[in-house]
Amino acid sequence: MRQHARSKKRGTQRASRPKQPNVRGERDGQTYQTGSALCPSGRPRSPLSSFLTPDMTASLGSLADRTLRLLRHPVMRRLAQAFFVAFLLMVFAFLLIRLIPGDPAMILLGDSATEEDVIAYRKLLGIDGSIPSQFGRYVSNLARGDFGISIRSREPILSIVQKRLPVSLWLTATTIFMTVVLALPLGVAAALYRRTWFGHAFQIGASVLVATPVFFSGLLLILLFAVQINFAPIAGYQAGFPANLYYLWLPALTINFVLVPVLARILQSSIVETAAEEFVEAAVIRGTQGWRFYWRYLLRPSLAPTIAALGYFAATVVSYAVIIEIIFNLPGIGMTLVDAVRNRDYPLVQGIVFLSGLLVVGLTFFADLVNGWLDPRVKIR
Amino acid sequence: MTASAGISPVGQLRRLGMHRRWRQLNAESRWGLVILALILVLSVSVPLLSPNDPYEFVDLPLQVPSAAFPFGTDHLGRDLLVRVFAAARLDIALAVLGVSVPIVIGTFIGTLAGTTRNRIAETVWDGLVNALTAFPEIILVLGIVAMVGADVRGLLIAIWISRWAQYARIARAKSLALRDAEFVQAAQVLGYSQLRILIRHIMPNVFSEALAYALSDFIFIIVIIGGLSFLGLGVTPPTPEWGAMLAEGRLYLRTEPWLILFPGFFLSMTAIGVALLAQGLERINKGEDE
Repeated sequence: MRQHARSKKRGTQRASRPKQPNVRGERDGQTYQTGSALCPSGRPRSPLSSFLTPDMTASLGSLADRTLRLLRHPVMRRLAQAFFVAFLLMVFAFLLIRLIPGDPAMILLGDSATEEDVIAYRKLLGIDGSIPSQFGRYVSNLARGDFGISIRSREPILSIVQKRLPVSLWLTATTIFMTVVLALPLGVAAALYRRTWFGHAFQIGASVLVATPVFFSGLLLILLFAVQINFAPIAGYQAGFPANLYYLWLPALTINFVLVPVLARILQSSIVETAAEEFVEAAVIRGTQGWRFYWRYLLRPSLAPTIAALGYFAATVVSYAVIIEIIFNLPGIGMTLVDAVRNRDYPLVQGIVFLSGLLVVGLTFFADLVNGWLDPRVKIR
Repeated sequence: MTASAGISPVGQLRRLGMHRRWRQLNAESRWGLVILALILVLSVSVPLLSPNDPYEFVDLPLQVPSAAFPFGTDHLGRDLLVRVFAAARLDIALAVLGVSVPIVIGTFIGTLAGTTRNRIAETVWDGLVNALTAFPEIILVLGIVAMVGADVRGLLIAIWISRWAQYARIARAKSLALRDAEFVQAAQVLGYSQLRILIRHIMPNVFSEALAYALSDFIFIIVIIGGLSFLGLGVTPPTPEWGAMLAEGRLYLRTEPWLILFPGFFLSMTAIGVALLAQGLERINKGEDE
């Protein structure tokens, strides 16, 4: 039944295709013969050639052909790209400390510092010697898992991050869980009642919620739930699984004021698109009703964009968590970062910026993979 | 990629402006314009007409809103009404400044990257823009602010550095389609220089699309200006700024909630006004309603 639904969605001209997993999809709107022994450029098929597009095979020379063969696999290409981006993140994090106007060691120590102090500080910051040698040291330190030392607490940055990260991860997990629970029914309802007052109210409400800054909606929620009805703590955190949810649900709800409308809208528009498909009409004519109809014919075929968006949302949460952690006094990565910025703890800022960038690159990579797997028509690039 | 990008309008703003009349707008964009006009008028008129100075202590601190002080007074006895609208001026001006520089830089770089036919440049380009957009936005801005300095200058520089990439992306996509257009070929045949073709012929066509994105970017930037000031890393307290005022008023949340309600309300309304306008224009461009 599912197979049937999918092939209908793809269009009818490909109905004669032999049965095989659809890993390729259409690229750039072209469809090409998949059953023949030759790929479009006339060369014999290799196992990987099912991932090639005609323009890729045509334009590369024979040497590059061999060396770049692995990269032709969309997943490998995406992976290589992720590594390249990670490398640039590293370069950027390295340059960050060099953006400081003037000598950071002098800024931190003040005018009264002695020559030895300044030299020792430069060494601590990793800014002694020539730029290339600094970069070499930076890279080799990173490779050994050494992200430097916080100037304030003299603690290795990695151990600070390890200590604070669980709070942020719990916040992210709670938020994403809540997003799914709230956005699924809302999106379905918004799609089904699109032309009624509910649909219009949803449109307006979504615009209003998305545009409201989280630090304002967070304060309003504290005012409502913590001050007025005493349903949540005003701030603070306690580790341990069931206990921490008491402290996390309000921050998670605050972030969801932004995320839920966006996700519900994505779901709404993809359900509206699905509802126009022929197989839905066929199901209605056959008399399919109730949950079976909603789940099989409306919701399940429309889920791919929603699930993919969830992956990107995890990255967004990392960003919003900075402000949320300050408002709700959660001792996570975001609070550490803001404290480090206030204290001019340059290496700590550098380390957190780089690590959170890496986290987002990783999350986006997986979101892309899931996206490509759920919906092969999406070109992974 | 982000939540705020989810509502980006992709149409052409240019069709609004002088060419489109009020009655051709839909309800959403009208409401957006009304809200924005109201806030702009108030932000100009209130500090001009009011006898109170936003920095001056005029009466007892923490007064409940009354006829004399419609928004009450803050923790130092300053008139909150004047401060809220003085903040509106500053915030809107900063946000406009924050949007306008990246749109020019980004569009230029993007057009340049879109019209070049150098493969290596294209690869490096892709990596660079992907790397910039891979950072969580607020964390990238915080990182730059930490290095450049936690003040207005640092905040603007951080926004400029971190926001141009999106415009460059849009500009590149559009100019890739334009570089083989007939009017560009015609200009080449006429013997115009590459730079002239780029600036006079390609960029104006790319710009309209970037302007549409700028509306949703404006929301993000005004929120980030408020957010960083809220964290104490942007505009700092004596200056009236919505985020900084929220941070101050937050300490009196239990007893004097209006200290956060008024600045927060007008900050949100500004963002909502722009969001409604952007969404309305997008729907007009998609041809969903009249």
